[in-house]
Amino acid sequence: MEQLDLLMQGFAGALTPINLMWVVIGCLLGTAVGVLPGLGSSMAVALLLPMTFALDPTAAFILFAGVYFGGLFGDSTMAILLNTPGQASAIASTFEGHRMANDGRAPQALATAAIGAFIGGMVASVLVVFLSPTLVALSSAFGPAEFFALALFAFVATSSVVSDNVLKGLAALVLGIGITVIGVDGVSGMPRYTLGMAEMFDGISLVTVTVAVLALGEVLFVASRVRREEEDLKVRKGGGRPFLSRAEVAEAAPAWARGTAIGLPFGVIPAGGAEVPTFLAYEAERRLDRRRRVPRFGKGAIRGLAAPEAAGNATTGMAMGALLALGLPVSATAAIMLAAFRQYGLQPGPLLFENSADLVWALLASFFLAMVVLLIINLPFAQLWAKLLLIPKPHLYGGIALFCGLGIWATSGAVFDLVLLLAIAVIGFLMRRYDYPVAPLMIGMVLGPLAETSLRDALLSSVGDPRVLVSSPIAIVIYVLLAAVIALSVRTAVRRRTRRDL
Amino acid sequence: MSDVRPPADDAAPGSAAAGTAAAAPPAPGQGAEATEQRGFWAGRSNLLMPALLAAFSLFLLIGAFLLDADGTDFPGPRFFPVLLGAAGLLLAVLIALSELRSPEPAPEGADRRFRTRSDFASLGWVAGGFLAFALLLPWLGWILAGALVFWCTAHGFGSRRPLFDIVIALFLGSVIYLVFGTGLGLNLPSGILGGGF
Repeated sequence: MEQLDLLMQGFAGALTPINLMWVVIGCLLGTAVGVLPGLGSSMAVALLLPMTFALDPTAAFILFAGVYFGGLFGDSTMAILLNTPGQASAIASTFEGHRMANDGRAPQALATAAIGAFIGGMVASVLVVFLSPTLVALSSAFGPAEFFALALFAFVATSSVVSDNVLKGLAALVLGIGITVIGVDGVSGMPRYTLGMAEMFDGISLVTVTVAVLALGEVLFVASRVRREEEDLKVRKGGGRPFLSRAEVAEAAPAWARGTAIGLPFGVIPAGGAEVPTFLAYEAERRLDRRRRVPRFGKGAIRGLAAPEAAGNATTGMAMGALLALGLPVSATAAIMLAAFRQYGLQPGPLLFENSADLVWALLASFFLAMVVLLIINLPFAQLWAKLLLIPKPHLYGGIALFCGLGIWATSGAVFDLVLLLAIAVIGFLMRRYDYPVAPLMIGMVLGPLAETSLRDALLSSVGDPRVLVSSPIAIVIYVLLAAVIALSVRTAVRRRTRRDL
Repeated sequence: MSDVRPPADDAAPGSAAAGTAAAAPPAPGQGAEATEQRGFWAGRSNLLMPALLAAFSLFLLIGAFLLDADGTDFPGPRFFPVLLGAAGLLLAVLIALSELRSPEPAPEGADRRFRTRSDFASLGWVAGGFLAFALLLPWLGWILAGALVFWCTAHGFGSRRPLFDIVIALFLGSVIYLVFGTGLGLNLPSGILGGGF
């Protein structure tokens, strides 16, 4: 098995003491940020992205892998103990998980979540290792027309499926894509929308937009509400064994397996990350539960927590595979990782496996290490992590604002970018204030250039004939899937409306 | 539709006396009657986002027409921005129409005590602190400017211990300077503390 050899070489690269240290630091940082209420893994990656430029690429990506998965673990810890999911993908875990915690079964709930996340992530990592050559082969069949179809799919899926209001989702998308046309045009080399400012020739950096929208915008939004809302932050405690009994493992095992199976395919579908599969897994378990003689749902069912946790991490793991092999980010967090690759002059996709094989395989190996490290630091010590809640909000958010400034100064070293950061953060604040989803903006920002260049390349090659866009089987399949997604979301919207009228 | 005035409900950032007014009367423009009888502009601040989107779309369209793109083949540099601008304008109109039909409901519960939904005093401290940090960073240096943004944000979030915050802010700024500046080699300005201009 060639992959196994390569993976072993990857482990050799990742298991050096210094890289192992980055895995552990990444896991600790990611868990810490994920545990803090309101902060999710995408904010963790966004804040740390600029910091890693001081590291060499391999170390940086190993650190990222830890932060990324650590954030997911931390999110679910808080979803269970506090009912405050840090990220949309942890919402499904709150339903049964928090009920378990209320019943005094918090340690068991945390263990279920951690093991589920571990299983989902592990299976996904194994699949990525063995599927990556297939994905690479597949992606070489992609031309401009296919890439445009894929980008269009990602746009529509994130802005319609994931967001409640399609119009607002599309508006966020247009803002995101619109930002990318600023700067020198990639096809003709002509500067556009620079307003004559030299700073704008390279366009607005994805890092600036990410930190502004996901981190500083969130700080502003919390600031606008912090003195208006009293929160009830009560950590559910539960002494006793932090491990599962054999009966509990037997109960949760099928749910872990089903959740993983549901989550895996979503890793390669650009539909906005792990939110959809976690809810699907939760729904599936709920329906299965209704058929049992003694339904457990609503009373802290262990399966209702196990399935979404496994699904979430399975999707995330596969998403990393899709990012590496196809260069296609399926979620906001993957989009930031893509930005990180580009900062190092690396372009994820088929060529990455050829040109930087040592980096890719070390990164894949570090996924496995990160999973193991996370299981160790989360399973017995989840209650310790909850102590992070003792940090007072003023100092927590003061620190985040400081780190936003540090990150942008580290990437650009210019006052201009700091002011730009603040301006975009104000837009991010307005979007949160008026319930506009920010994920479409991020996806638009990342895939906008790909969409534009592939569309124009396709049309240039056909001398303006739009039929070139639907001339290949792959493109047609993607458009059919897209039509199905639209039909599905229209159906849910109509259903929701009729239900409201009743 | 881009002529959206700041609606009464979310207006005048500076004037919002946040947190202090215990039982704030309804906004002066609305009269002192019951809060249910609100003027047209009450709860209309949600038109701000469509206005912003429309302005951005117009920026894309106007910029495309001003762009001198002669000598490029059909899908030139203007093609994509024009598509986006048109889509953005359409979306802005649709969103504005749906928002016009449903203004934001009057604040309920604890929010009733305040004139605006958002706490502009807090926002002002955080955003203003960051702006000051951005502009003064090269001159003040990392430690002082960083301490400034930390302190302003903490103050905006309602911290009641200004002196204690200063200590933490300076400590954090110094630690970051040591770890990232000296340790990892990021180029953080030393400013007036370094003595060099």
